[in-house]
Order: sequence, then structure tokens, then C-alpha cells
Amino acid sequence: MAQAAIAFTGTRFAHDGRHILGPLDLMIPPGETLVLLGKSGSGKTTMLRLINALLIPTGGEVFVLGRSTRDWDPVRLRRSIGYVIQEVGLLPHLSVARNVGLVPALERWSADRIERRVAELLDLVGLPVRDFAARLPHKLSGGQRQRVGVARALAADPPILLCDEPFGAVDPVTRAELQREFRDLAKRLRKTVVFVTHDVREALVLGDRVALIEAGLVSFLGSPNDFRHSDDPAVAAFRTLL
Amino acid sequence: MRGRWGSGGKRGRRSPTRLALPHLPLLPLLLAAGACGRGDDTLTVASKNFTESVLLGEIVAQQLERHGFHVDRRLNLGGTFICHEAMKAGQVDVYVEYTGTAHSAILGLPTVRDPARVRQEVDSIYRERWGLVWTAPLGFNNTFAMLVRREDARRLGISTLSGAVPHASDWRPGFGYEFMQREDGYRGLVDTYGFSFPMQPAVMDLGLTYRALAEGQVDIIAGNSTDGQIQALELVHLRDDKEYFPPYEAAPVVRSQVLTARPQVGAALAALGGTIDQETMRRLNRLVDVDRRDVKEVAREFLDGLGHRGRGEEEEMGEVGEGRVRR
Amino acid sequence: MSFFEFVLQNRGDVWFRTVEHLVLVGISTGAAIAIGVPLGIGISRSARLRAPVLGVANVFQTIPSLALFGFLIPVPFVGGIGARTAIVALVLYALLPIIRNTYAGIVGVDPAVREAARGMGMTDAELLRLVELPLAVPVMLAGIRVATVIGVGIATIAAAIGAGGLGVFIFQGVALVDHAVILAGAVPAALLALMLDGGLHLVERKLDWRAR
Repeated sequence: MAQAAIAFTGTRFAHDGRHILGPLDLMIPPGETLVLLGKSGSGKTTMLRLINALLIPTGGEVFVLGRSTRDWDPVRLRRSIGYVIQEVGLLPHLSVARNVGLVPALERWSADRIERRVAELLDLVGLPVRDFAARLPHKLSGGQRQRVGVARALAADPPILLCDEPFGAVDPVTRAELQREFRDLAKRLRKTVVFVTHDVREALVLGDRVALIEAGLVSFLGSPNDFRHSDDPAVAAFRTLL
Repeated sequence: MRGRWGSGGKRGRRSPTRLALPHLPLLPLLLAAGACGRGDDTLTVASKNFTESVLLGEIVAQQLERHGFHVDRRLNLGGTFICHEAMKAGQVDVYVEYTGTAHSAILGLPTVRDPARVRQEVDSIYRERWGLVWTAPLGFNNTFAMLVRREDARRLGISTLSGAVPHASDWRPGFGYEFMQREDGYRGLVDTYGFSFPMQPAVMDLGLTYRALAEGQVDIIAGNSTDGQIQALELVHLRDDKEYFPPYEAAPVVRSQVLTARPQVGAALAALGGTIDQETMRRLNRLVDVDRRDVKEVAREFLDGLGHRGRGEEEEMGEVGEGRVRR
Repeated sequence: MSFFEFVLQNRGDVWFRTVEHLVLVGISTGAAIAIGVPLGIGISRSARLRAPVLGVANVFQTIPSLALFGFLIPVPFVGGIGARTAIVALVLYALLPIIRNTYAGIVGVDPAVREAARGMGMTDAELLRLVELPLAVPVMLAGIRVATVIGVGIATIAAAIGAGGLGVFIFQGVALVDHAVILAGAVPAALLALMLDGGLHLVERKLDWRAR
């Protein structure tokens, strides 16, 4: 357990008495990118929210960096996890620079340090500081917003990134570009990434491993290569979408 | 332009002119509506838009009904102006007006303090100008009433305005806007009696002056002499011993054509003459305003009570129609 | 006497009453903001408080002003006759739009934004201060603007309890049935309402992140 960045152990989740997820047993080693692939409503987003303690399991545990989410101070936990979500969730009233520097600011970094970090990150995601720092999110293209979202998630250098269909709303060309850059970035920075998508192509491009989620259970777990060659009928069904 | 309809407007809350303004655009409509559909034995009774007037309108209406007439009620019709115009146009046959209001607001005459003279002047001008007749006054005078708390009056042993003057230097006065503005209001009162209050009056809504007096926020107010609140809030009306306030006697005004065509109308109205003194009017107002009783019921009970008393008097007076019809 | 003649002859008075009026509206709206914004935040946090708070604020709106003054006369500290009572009444009338818009502004924040902010590890206080309140500002300001404009209108009844303001002309004019005097109160009040409405609209636009 000690070496897993994230571990689900007998994890279940129910809401209003309705069973939603689990039981799940799943280990994610540090530095791995695990893609959760599934249709909407399959429970993938719930898994992410269990990791950063936006939800607490109704049975079993979720361990993050060796400690159960029940024992974490949720605020501390979340600040150790970068979070990129659908529609990005940039704060619309704050400039790009302030959005990216938000978690460092919450962590009370000095203004200088934040400024340097923001410049570094914007550079990392390919947005020149001079042109973008002062802009408001709604003055950006969809792809640019996603880049800012990734930069913001990386700001306090968290060991873990959670991504919930972050590239869902951009055009296919930009999307392919973002996926490639994201994969390289995650590898270079050695982040543990849990990435939710319903797009098989994206899953196979980004994942070290792919977990197929169906009705709150993992029905397949393996490398992209295994996925391509699996006999599992559910996997085969998904593969036809390729 | 301190208006023709203005200086005589009777006191704030029940000012006859006050609520007339919003109705002005309706007036032509009202007058154009015509006399259509009124049978020969139907009379139209109107009232102004405050409790006392509505009550008096209802009493007049029921009195006429007891004398065998059908009555078309136009109670709460509007202010003085509306009622008067409707009378002139023949749309209304009877409504209760105050002599002082007619004298100053409608006729624009200079203030006269002798009640009989005011009555006589308005009646003769009304007859001559519009063919309208003032019948017998109902018996009360709804004028400004200088009011103090009963406990103060008792403690200081005062019952008149002259008696109050020496104590007024400790009193905070609270008056309505109309009393402050009118010719027969604050300034004249101070001049006539020589009041010297220690501060400027608190000027506020008339209805609120009653509350303010009862709660001890002010010590003397100018109310209406027939207001039901006077009894309810345990206030005392200081007698106007120098007869400063002009008379506002209530009396039904009726079209002379109606009187000629149906003389029993005159008899029915005359029978009401002198039947409502100040105390009675206060009590009736109180029943409606404070005790929330139904106007129709209060009017009926009043006329019933009158019937018993009136029958005895009728023997002597001989000419009053009341008893005859009730049989 | 025409309206213009009256205003010209009494311009000192008209000016004085206008300032008095502004002070009444300013103090009461300020107090209503100080009370209403925290209440609006409170009911956005606690569903249990929502119905009673909005209900009570609603009830205040429906009490006729004279009746409210009547209730307030005997109340110690806030009541009596004069400006204090008028201001208390004006505050009570101004509360509803401010509470309601604060609440609506906060609740109307995009759930994705709230989720992202929570996911980033914001505490409740940080979420409120850095996200919800700034995003709710345009809606809150709209509520304050409504409250202010309504306040200018309602403040004319302050004269009913001896608190001055432009309502004095209106009450005097009604007592005298003199249109010029009524207008001397009503016209400046209307102009005041228009100016405050316009001014606050500008502030609203200035503070609205969407316009930047």
C-alpha cells in the first residue's frame, strides 16, 4: 500500500440509499496515468470525487499518499491534488494569471514567487505570459482555456492530477494537440494522473493503463495494448467506437 | 391657487378632498353614465370615502328604505368634489355633507364661526345655485378637537382650551399637515388662546398623532371631534371655549326636485335631524373603526334604537314619518 | 402659483428637503445592506433559514407604511416619532430585494466553478470571499439599486412620522390640495430616483467582471 499513490480498497459509494459504485479494489502507483473509460453515469466522476474527498466512501476506504481520505483534512488533501474538470471551472472574474496563481495564493506564497510560478506554468502550457496573463477566461478560445486549466492544476506542484474530461469541449485538432502535450507534460513532471474520459481514442493515447468502468465496477483493467486485444465483450463493444 | 377645494378640505385622514385627486379622471365617466335604469321609487345615496361618511350614507339609505324607497348605494364614492359634482349632475340624490366644508371648500366663503349662520348661508346659496337643499342637521359637529390624554386632563383638572394654556409650556404638540396649513388651524389657535409650546409641533400623519399621543410621544393633538379613537384611546376633548373652530355640522343634502316629487323623502330625512350627537357619532365610528363591526349592522342597530325612542317623540311632534312606516 | 414659481420661490426649502431625503435613503439603504447581505449569505448556506428569513422580509413589504409607523411608535430604541422610526421602516422595506438578490447571486454561481474551487482546496470562507461573492456582485448590486430606487419613493412617507424629506411637500400639498406643492415634492423625488438608478447602474457595470 505504501508505494501506491492512490488505492481503492473495498470502496463503495451509495447516495440516498442508491448504490452507485463498488466494491472497488484498485491501486495506482506513483507516476502512472490511469484512464477511467466509461459511459456517462458509469461512476467515473464519482471515483475522482472520492479521491479528493469531495465525497467520502460509504464503505471501504480510499487511500491517497498512504492515508485514508477519512483521515485527511479535506482542504490539505485537495491542495495536494491538481483538479481539472469539464468546462474547466476557471473563475470567470479573475485574470488568467490570478486563476493559475490561485492555489499558491491560498497557500500564502509571496507575490514574487507566485508571479514567477505563473510565468513558468503559462510557458509550460504554451501560453505567452505577456499576451495572456491579464486576460479574463471568456476572452480565450476553448483550447486556451483548457491549457489555463492544466496550468492551474499544476500550480502548487501537486503529486497527483485528477482530470475529468478536460478536453471534452474543444475541436478535434486542438484536442489531439492538447492530448499529446498533456501526456508529455505528465511524464516529464512524473505526476500520478487519473484521467476520466468517454473517448476510447483519448484513453488509448493518454493511458499507461485503461480501466473500463461499467455500472460502478471495473470490468477491464490493463494496458492500451491489452485493451486492443482483449476478448472481453464489453471492451470489444467499446473498441468498435475506435 | 391655495385652492377653492383646498382650504376647506376637512382634516387629513378623513379629508373630503384628499382622495378625490386620483378619481378625477373617472369623473366624466361617472357623469356620462347617466340616469339610466333608475325607477321612480329608486333613490341614489352617496357618501365620501371615510368611515363616518360611509356610516351616515348607510343610515340615510336604510332610513329611506324603511320609508319604502329602493336605494341605489354609491357609498365610498370619492371626496367632496366628486360627491358635489355628482349631485349637481343629478347622478346622486342624497349625500351627507358638512356645513363648514361646503362653506369654505365648495363656496370659498370666508370663515364664519356662528353655526346657524353658516347653515343658513350654505342652504340659501345651494338652493339658488344648484337646486340642492340642506335638510335638518344630524346633531353633531365634526370639527377639529384638541385632544389630550385623560390622565393628564384629570391630573391637571382641565377641560377647556383656556384651562390648558398654562400647562402648554411643558407640552410637545403633534399635528397633522392639514392642521398646520389651514387658516382655521394651528396659527389661529395659538393666536386666539395664546398657547406657547416649548418646541415646534411634530408634524405627521393625522392617524399617527393619535398613536403618538396615546404612547406619550406627544402631549396634545388636533383630532376630529367625532373620531372613535377618542374613546378607544382614553383621550379627552378640550372644549373650544373661545369658539375658535368654525362649525362642521353634518346634514343630508338632497336635490330639491326629489323633495318636490316625493315629499316623504323630506320627512324621512327630517326624522334623522338631531338624532346623532357627538357622543353617538363617536360611538358609531368606534364600532366600525375600532371594533371592526359591519357598517350595515351598525346603521341598522342605530335606526332600530331610534325607532323605539322616536315613537314616543312622534306623538308630540306629530309630523315625523319614522313610526308610521315601521308599522 | 405654478410649480416652477413655487420651486423657485422656495428653492432653499426644496434643496433642504432633497438633502434630508437623500440622507434618509442613504442611511436606510446602508443599514439594509449591512443587515441584508449577511442574511442573504446565511440563507445560501442554510436551507432551514431560507423560508423564515425570506418570509419575514416579505411580510415587512406588505405592511402599509402608516401601519408600520403605528407599530413602531411605542417600540423603545427604534421607535417613537421622527427620523429614527422612518429609517427603521425604510430599512425593513429595503431588506427583501437585498437579501433575495444576494441569495440569488450566490446560488446562481456556475456549479462547475464552485466544484473547481472546492476541488482546488478552498475553505468555505475562501469559496465565499474569492468566488461566490465576487461573482454575485452584479446581481447583488441590482438588488441594492432596486432597494434604493424604491427607498426614494417610500421615503416620501417619512413625512408622515415627522421625519422630513420631500414627502413634506407632498403631505402639505395634499392637505392644501395644491398641485404645485405636491409636485415640489414629487418631481425632485422622481429625479432623485432616476439619478440614483442611473448612477448605480454605472457602478454595476463598472464592477461587473463580464463587462471587462
